[in-house]
Amino acid sequence: MSTADDTTASTTTDGQAAPEAPAPGPGATRSRITPRNAIRPALIVALLAFVLLAFPSIFSLYYIDAWTQVAIYSIVTLGLGVLVGRVGMVSLGQGAVLAMGAWVAARLLFATGLPFPIVLLAAGVITMALGTLVGLPALRMSGLYLALITLMLAGAITVALSNINFPNGGSGFTGYNGASVHIPPIRRPSVATTDPAFFRYSVVVAILMFLLVLFHIRGRPGRAWAAIRQSESAALAAGINTTFYKLWAFALASFVTGVAGALVAGSFRYLNSLTFATQDSITLLAVVLMGGAYSMSGAIVAAFLLKFLQALLNDWSVSPDWLTILFGIGVLQVLTTAPRGIVEQLPKDLARLGRLVRGLFTRTAPAGGQAE
Amino acid sequence: MPSWTDVEQFLVTGLSLGGVYALSGVGMVVLYRATGVLNLAFGAVGAMGALIAWQLINHAGFGFWPAFAVSVLFGGVITLAYGMVFGPALAMRDPLVKATATLGLTLVLLGVMDLLWPSSGGASRALTVPTDNNTFQVGQISVTYTNVIALALGLVVTVITGLFLRFTKLGTAMRAMANDREITATLGVPVRRVTAAAWFGCGCLSGVAGVLLADLVALDSTTLTFLVISTLAATLIGRLRSIPITFVAALVIGLVSSELTPISSVSNYRDMTPFVLAAIALLVLNRRRVISVGRQGV
Amino acid sequence: MINVSGLTVRFGGVTPLDGMDVAFDAGTCGLIGPNGAGKTTFFNVLSGFVQPAGGGIEAFGENLLKMTHFRRARWGVRRTFQTEQAIEELSVYDNVAMVHEHSKLGSGSRREETLAAIDFVGIKADPSAKVGTLGAGERRLVEVARAVVGKPRLVLLDEPAAGLPDEETEHLGEVIRRIPEQTGAMTILVDHDMSLVSACCATTAVLDFGKLLATGPTAEVLRDEKVIRAYLGTEEVL
Repeated sequence: MSTADDTTASTTTDGQAAPEAPAPGPGATRSRITPRNAIRPALIVALLAFVLLAFPSIFSLYYIDAWTQVAIYSIVTLGLGVLVGRVGMVSLGQGAVLAMGAWVAARLLFATGLPFPIVLLAAGVITMALGTLVGLPALRMSGLYLALITLMLAGAITVALSNINFPNGGSGFTGYNGASVHIPPIRRPSVATTDPAFFRYSVVVAILMFLLVLFHIRGRPGRAWAAIRQSESAALAAGINTTFYKLWAFALASFVTGVAGALVAGSFRYLNSLTFATQDSITLLAVVLMGGAYSMSGAIVAAFLLKFLQALLNDWSVSPDWLTILFGIGVLQVLTTAPRGIVEQLPKDLARLGRLVRGLFTRTAPAGGQAE
Repeated sequence: MPSWTDVEQFLVTGLSLGGVYALSGVGMVVLYRATGVLNLAFGAVGAMGALIAWQLINHAGFGFWPAFAVSVLFGGVITLAYGMVFGPALAMRDPLVKATATLGLTLVLLGVMDLLWPSSGGASRALTVPTDNNTFQVGQISVTYTNVIALALGLVVTVITGLFLRFTKLGTAMRAMANDREITATLGVPVRRVTAAAWFGCGCLSGVAGVLLADLVALDSTTLTFLVISTLAATLIGRLRSIPITFVAALVIGLVSSELTPISSVSNYRDMTPFVLAAIALLVLNRRRVISVGRQGV
Repeated sequence: MINVSGLTVRFGGVTPLDGMDVAFDAGTCGLIGPNGAGKTTFFNVLSGFVQPAGGGIEAFGENLLKMTHFRRARWGVRRTFQTEQAIEELSVYDNVAMVHEHSKLGSGSRREETLAAIDFVGIKADPSAKVGTLGAGERRLVEVARAVVGKPRLVLLDEPAAGLPDEETEHLGEVIRRIPEQTGAMTILVDHDMSLVSACCATTAVLDFGKLLATGPTAEVLRDEKVIRAYLGTEEVL
């Protein structure tokens, strides 16, 4: 677990305990900014800069669109990761939440002249309100029941959406005109009408959402969530209003997913209920588990698995059904062996590999030296 | 307003669907009680069984009933295989983890089904049970023998399962295991054999349900897979415990969703029925707040 | 002062607490009894996890049963559990500060009081170390620190010494003895280690089958025939 992903910046850089207790800042003993622990954030910033600036020149439009989907869906997987990895709540309905966000955004984009960023926020807030409303009674239930309720919710919303359809410029509450022959595309932000520009826009929004979540994780909600996941009864005994914090997690996940939904609307420009199938809520959970629900980099891995591989296979004319099968196997593998997902398991596997390799080169070392 | 004939006609459909949901629900509850696994792949297994039956009938010259038998056997075998391979690995985990794992199986099956039987836009597949052609009239409404079989099977499976659990050695063993697996094992109950029986039985019911639903609803992998939601709703209303309540709930769900069909204003939304009913039931039945013990999540 | 009157709890066919009547005075009180006597159930009622079928609890003049669980914790009911509950991913400091954070106390004194609690229980590790890296004894101390930070009113310790070696049990005993004078809170200690109970508790109550069997100065209670019979199940020691 890297320091950037920690719930608190906990270990001091030199690992030595001070003779007297150090003077900590509020909420955590924050490490001083030293060269060693500034490397990781600096690398991340550099990588992001590279992605923003260089990607559109490196990749074709087809793959830029794929990367856009990765950026957008990493927000969704991030939200689900907070629920599953941090609080311990499994939601099988995030696909439906995404659809809601897209619907709200499309409606607003057609019916009003609001600038895109405002629509993003509005979609996030409205989705958050709806998500919280539905979540509130469900939160009293234990893990399995919550998962099942969210699954059924996903099914119900899919039915509702396939009936009221996605807005296409029509009037009335649903903004859908079934008789429309010429359907206008959903409008994009004025600064990002082209695909490469929209890619950059999406990445920026994703970064903002990641920062929002990071802010939560490092603050009071993050600590309360860690307590709730460890043991709800102990959290209550510590004075934590667990229902409130679970609701907060739900609200946060719904908000960011709603924002992502607005990006989906802007990205696809034409929406229909096939864009959001019930199955997608399940594959979302699958990739989050595979990528690692606990870490933020896991969210990006999950989005990559979900969207980039799909684009790749499509390019090579391989059926996407192979991915579905892969994700199914992935779920089984993760749950039976590596509960924290690839992101945590891979370093362990690589470390083991490293030790094996080192072992090959140190055969002359005394017994008990590099033994695995 | 729908006519009385309409209401009666959809009563028939509703009871048939309810019957299938009932036999599915009973299978799921028994498996849950014996192993702690809520088999969310139930629908997907049935869907694949139905598709295999379709393939055998239309491309291998099988008669309906042999193909149906293959579907049932397929359901039993694949569910048993899953249970034997992944059951032990997850035996000590929370029910949430076990249920999530069955989602893995669901995805694998969905992928395989779409690969082997791609939905080539336009030509849709259909599976008809021969008894569809045998109808009789009850007043104004026509009832096919398939309808009768569906409801009858639901009833029979429920009753037999209830009797089985109460009066046979194997059944009592399953009830004991629902309470405490380890203690049951120390009493000399062949836990592995009992679990295997539960997995196989549930799987066979998947195969039965798959074919019947393919006939009553549609032969489509996604539709059939997610019809498990209706069954789930019934089992949730039965608190994953009570077979009689699951039976009644299944019938109610089937009836309500069918009876909404002729009411044009809500007809398109009838598929929301299981969710709405289950949500109401859960909220009412789970009024008392559950405080979970131990580590949450997966 | 805690006054328990006629407390009854029923789960299905079992009655873990059956008309329990007992008064706990200030200081450190022991609560002992054979397994299944109802001690943890009593703690769960105090914590608010279990609703009693009848009876009442009055703590420092307040009707405890009227408050919901987390509100009781904020009011001052603190507790350790039989199984470890300190949060592994967080640091020692964060674990303890969290309880302070969610109590009615302001953030001004938080740092000071958190460090004071950590110091009081005698944790040798760096407060910024993750609890997951500590040994079992120190983790227990973290839990005790969480129970005493800020302004606790009632500290419930549920078998805090279980599984600990003698040396650490002794240290724990010293800490527990000092809780009332350090924090002004009343402490109820449940444990099977009679030497720990004797060392820490001035008075002890004995529970058996959900009812109060005996109460009084610890030494007397431990010698009481009824108590010995309850534990051993026989009248004579053969």
